Amino acid sequence: MTARDRILSAIRTALGPGKPPAQIAAEAAALLDPAGIARPHLVAPVLPDAFALKATALGTTIDRVASMADLPQAMARYLDAHGLPPRFAMQPAPELAALDWQGLAPHQGTAPDEPTALGLALCGIAESGSLVIHSGPDNPILMSFLPLHHVAVLRESTLLPYLEDYAARLSAQAVPRNAILITGPSGTTDIEGSYVRGAHGPGFLHVILIADAGTEPG
Amino acid sequence: MNAPSKAPFKARAKAALADPVLKTAIDRTTGNAERKRAAAVAAFPEFEAARARGKAIKDHVVAHLDHYLEMFERNAAARGAQVHWAADDAEARAIVTRICLAADARLVTRAKSMLGEEIGLPHALADAGIERVETDLAEHIIQLAGEAPSHIIWPAMHRTREQVAELFKTGHHPPPAAEDPATMVQSARTQLRTKFLSADIGISGANFLVADTGATCTVTNEGNAELTTTPPRIHIVTAGIEKLVPSTAHAFALLRLLVRSATGGEMTQYTTFHAGPKRPGDADGPEEMHIVLVDNGRTKMLADEFREMLRCIRCGACMNHCVVYRQIGGHAYGGTYPGPMGSVLTPVLDGLAASRDLPNACTMNGRCAEVCPVGIPLPTLLRAWRRRSWREGLEPGSIRTGIGLWAQLARRPRLYRLATRIGLPLLRLFGRGGWISRLPLAGGWTDHRDLPRPAAQSFMDQYRAQQKGRK
Ligand code: SF4
Repeated sequence: MTARDRILSAIRTALGPGKPPAQIAAEAAALLDPAGIARPHLVAPVLPDAFALKATALGTTIDRVASMADLPQAMARYLDAHGLPPRFAMQPAPELAALDWQGLAPHQGTAPDEPTALGLALCGIAESGSLVIHSGPDNPILMSFLPLHHVAVLRESTLLPYLEDYAARLSAQAVPRNAILITGPSGTTDIEGSYVRGAHGPGFLHVILIADAGTEPG
Repeated sequence: MNAPSKAPFKARAKAALADPVLKTAIDRTTGNAERKRAAAVAAFPEFEAARARGKAIKDHVVAHLDHYLEMFERNAAARGAQVHWAADDAEARAIVTRICLAADARLVTRAKSMLGEEIGLPHALADAGIERVETDLAEHIIQLAGEAPSHIIWPAMHRTREQVAELFKTGHHPPPAAEDPATMVQSARTQLRTKFLSADIGISGANFLVADTGATCTVTNEGNAELTTTPPRIHIVTAGIEKLVPSTAHAFALLRLLVRSATGGEMTQYTTFHAGPKRPGDADGPEEMHIVLVDNGRTKMLADEFREMLRCIRCGACMNHCVVYRQIGGHAYGGTYPGPMGSVLTPVLDGLAASRDLPNACTMNGRCAEVCPVGIPLPTLLRAWRRRSWREGLEPGSIRTGIGLWAQLARRPRLYRLATRIGLPLLRLFGRGGWISRLPLAGGWTDHRDLPRPAAQSFMDQYRAQQKGRK
């Protein structure tokens, strides 16, 4: 008998006869029924405010701008404020490449000690102030982890109220190789519980929030 | 198993109690954890309801474990991951070592996983001649110290910052420029960066295995998991079979409980789902993904009175709130998992004969069960081990004789009352200021604990006197 057979048969002996899969699925779904889901309340009535409040509480900085066209300026502001060089790694996404970067110098590829990288978030979650990124041909995962400063572009129109809303979206589409929820800059409390930022991932997380949606109540 | 010491539990506990530096280190971390958890729970009024849901989700999965394991295997395979099954720790070690050797791996990076410790992965890799680099900061500290974790969330919590500075001074090249935590963390960041990028294989654990997508989910705060799993050619996940959840949404319901209970945060900085190896066209990612599903005693627990323990999501709250853990720390327990949850698990993993002292060390104050986010009745399970230890004749003769004598007395009320009437005044002679801190023949108790000085009269005598007074 293989280990697989031994494990499964030990489980079946312990549990007795199983239920039909449809019944198991119904029970699992009932465990998610919205009436019984206990989740935290959003901290503001509109999603962008709720997201921004949560994110800043965790040490993420936020710059709210009107449109994608404002991105180069917002980026220049951030680099300037932190005394960073105008060279930064940029996600190979057409909508970023299409912008006029003026005096800045975005480049592809992320060096092991890259100071800054700029990428697009797929969506944001207001409940927790999290950003979501998915791996893919135009999104190298390391770009969000190697630099000291991670700047993420987030469109207000992509904000979701709760973690479950993102889960629903994930099951409706093809699951990527790597899906990551980023909630604040990298940190550790491993030395005597004192909080230090930038343990391995970015020590700074900056979100440029694009107001591309009306602010309907979440 | 990689217990730090083979000395008996009592000797280890005694040594721990005599170590004032250890006490300081434990107090700093557990005290912080307790305060932060309380604040996080207070800020989430629905916590109780969420806890009931979390418990129900885990019970559902455990009740249909075979169904979900097969579903997970099917979906993980559909994403291109290779799923392996290991009945015990030796099989799990053999599978991982085989993958490493077949890939001719020289350097392996590892993101913290308690299951990896449970199956003895660090030793297995060393035996196979493979360099292992722990990437979680705490694991990095204890790797430099040559130690096992002393806590499931903060493996290096027994080390003070001064001790960490000593370790980094010799272990880092160049040594950190200063001894403050920020400078030391920065130094570790620089040291590990090249290792991340040159590793042949990255090994991680999983907090959840998502059945309907075939993804494994890992939560970290440092970002070391992604740096461990993305650059190498091969990613290996080792996970216990109880880690299953039906879907991503179920994982999130448990995540809300896990993070608040573990660190008092609401979300970990990084919550990452891995579904198979690199896809055609992907900008980065490993070429192979292996998932090792490990039983190692879990199906045994499923079949007996310890089934409820399979709900455990490894948050560490029970140890942060345990009066015994907070006195002796994690290493004194001698197993992979310390504290209340460890005292239930270690007899499963290492055998009751070798670990019967652990369930006996519990004070039964019930704090662990109160804070457990999935409602595991830890004291009840510990009592079950005590009963089994008694049934199997594992308790030493002196205890059996003592309890036997007490049972004889307890069955004879007159004799019992006579004995207490003689015994009480004697016992009171040893009391100082309401407490007894020294008692002949009872050093096992009084060396590290005080006994309240008993009342002058037994309860029965006081009760009688009162009843008489009423008439
Ligand atoms: S037993 Fe409960 S409190 Fe302890 S680690 Fe497991 S889930 Fe957390």
